[in-house]
Amino acid sequence: MAIDAANPVPPTYPRRVGMDQVPPHVPKELIRSVGITYSPEFLADPYKFFAELPEKQPPIFYDVGMYGNYWQATKHEDALFILRHPEIFSNEGATPFPRDPDDYFYFIPQEIDPPAHRKYRNIVDPVLAPAGVAKLEDKIRKQANDLIDQFIDKGEVEFTEAFGRPLPVIVFLDIMGLPQDMRDTFVSWAMELLHSNSQERMGKAMAAITAYLKGAIADKKANPDDGVVSRIAHATFDGVPLSDKEVFGFVCFLFIGGLDTVFATLNNIWAFLAQNPDVVEQMRADPDNITAQVEELLRLWSVTFSGRVLIQDYELRGIQMKKDDRITCVLPACNFDPDVFPDPKRLNFHRPRQIVLAFTVGAHSCMGAHLARLEIKIALQEWLKRIPNFSLKQGFKPEYRPGGVVGPEAVPLVW
Amino acid sequence: MPSVTYIAADGTQHVLDVPLGENVMRGALYNDIEGIVGECGGALSCATCHCYVDEAWAAMVGQPASKDEDDLLEGVSSPRKATSRLSCQIVMTAELDGLVVHMPDHQY
Repeated sequence: MAIDAANPVPPTYPRRVGMDQVPPHVPKELIRSVGITYSPEFLADPYKFFAELPEKQPPIFYDVGMYGNYWQATKHEDALFILRHPEIFSNEGATPFPRDPDDYFYFIPQEIDPPAHRKYRNIVDPVLAPAGVAKLEDKIRKQANDLIDQFIDKGEVEFTEAFGRPLPVIVFLDIMGLPQDMRDTFVSWAMELLHSNSQERMGKAMAAITAYLKGAIADKKANPDDGVVSRIAHATFDGVPLSDKEVFGFVCFLFIGGLDTVFATLNNIWAFLAQNPDVVEQMRADPDNITAQVEELLRLWSVTFSGRVLIQDYELRGIQMKKDDRITCVLPACNFDPDVFPDPKRLNFHRPRQIVLAFTVGAHSCMGAHLARLEIKIALQEWLKRIPNFSLKQGFKPEYRPGGVVGPEAVPLVW
Repeated sequence: MPSVTYIAADGTQHVLDVPLGENVMRGALYNDIEGIVGECGGALSCATCHCYVDEAWAAMVGQPASKDEDDLLEGVSSPRKATSRLSCQIVMTAELDGLVVHMPDHQY
């Protein structure tokens, strides 16, 4: 049944957690507890873990964990199928963030399936389409250089704080029409929500975000501008404005999605390049191949997952799944599928073109993908031009924390 | 505003206004036309906005705009033909007013 975005209600399907809540249709031999994003093996080296997942586990298995029981899919072709069939694998209610049940809202358009999904996308797509983000190129390039100016002469920097975080967040706040002086506050809220793994702390962060964004939306309603928050606040379908719940759910979703993902991607890539000067050399020797370089780096360093809920029984790869089961496409592992990316652990800037699952596929493919690609490209170009020889601070080993967006906590660099 | 005629695999026709500078994929998405999926949004990464340019317009629209488009067309789901293009790479100009494109039976 399609949900009513203007009258949101919390999902009713069961939340299953732990071994005693494994439904009887799950074959015993497919049950695992691998602890994606939180087991010691994962945290020690998440991308080794992702790369080895297709080797060590069946292509689809049932993971029982402390945050919930989910089917996990690691084959590229299965992910394409799951993500392109919302009539079986729905997004409605598949987003894990806690919300106040008495003031519930949907993350829009993330939790809305086709066909209604498209009408929301049409509001922001003009801004985020390739032609829209291309207009931002000069500004992003200048911003990247302004940031580099602040630390280049020091010969060292903590990358995540000084570049990886501020660059995408500054750009995002500009696009949204939100004030730059709230930058650090926004980031800390988003970090709590995405990385604390504590329902209580997540709830507090969500409450703070909610209060702020409601104020911001009211302000944009009274004082329209050309930012995305204002665009959503004033959007109409067939002459009817969006409801307050829809406006809030849309803005809130962009806020959460926009603050953390490019940040984590840049941190991953820089930690990798700092340890692989030969890769930097390859990139600098072949600047015209930057688009393929970005794509290959995205393949190796995808940061997030796509979760869905089955809304009908379905058999996939000979495995019987049931309505209300949840399934996660482990996108960073799908990008190591040897059937699609031969010799998957090897970086190769000259691979034949394939769909890299960094931004998912299907109707819910990331609306910010063009912006993310542009930011990563510019960040690489400007950084490598000015700081071509850099390495991790001696003795430092990147550490990861649990959460739905995967990236190192700190990346101290020297040059 | 220039118009584009989208003809579905079953023969259904949709005549739509598509603004100058906008691409043919977006014209379909803004109007909920099934037959063009465009899941990557125009990033040249998904090949789900495949169309066959009508013979009468093939010369005017021209060949794939880049090697990337040409490579992706090799992987489209419905058969590639001589006038196959990715509709996200066809940008509307005044000369293309009245353009006719045929949509394939499936995009994946």
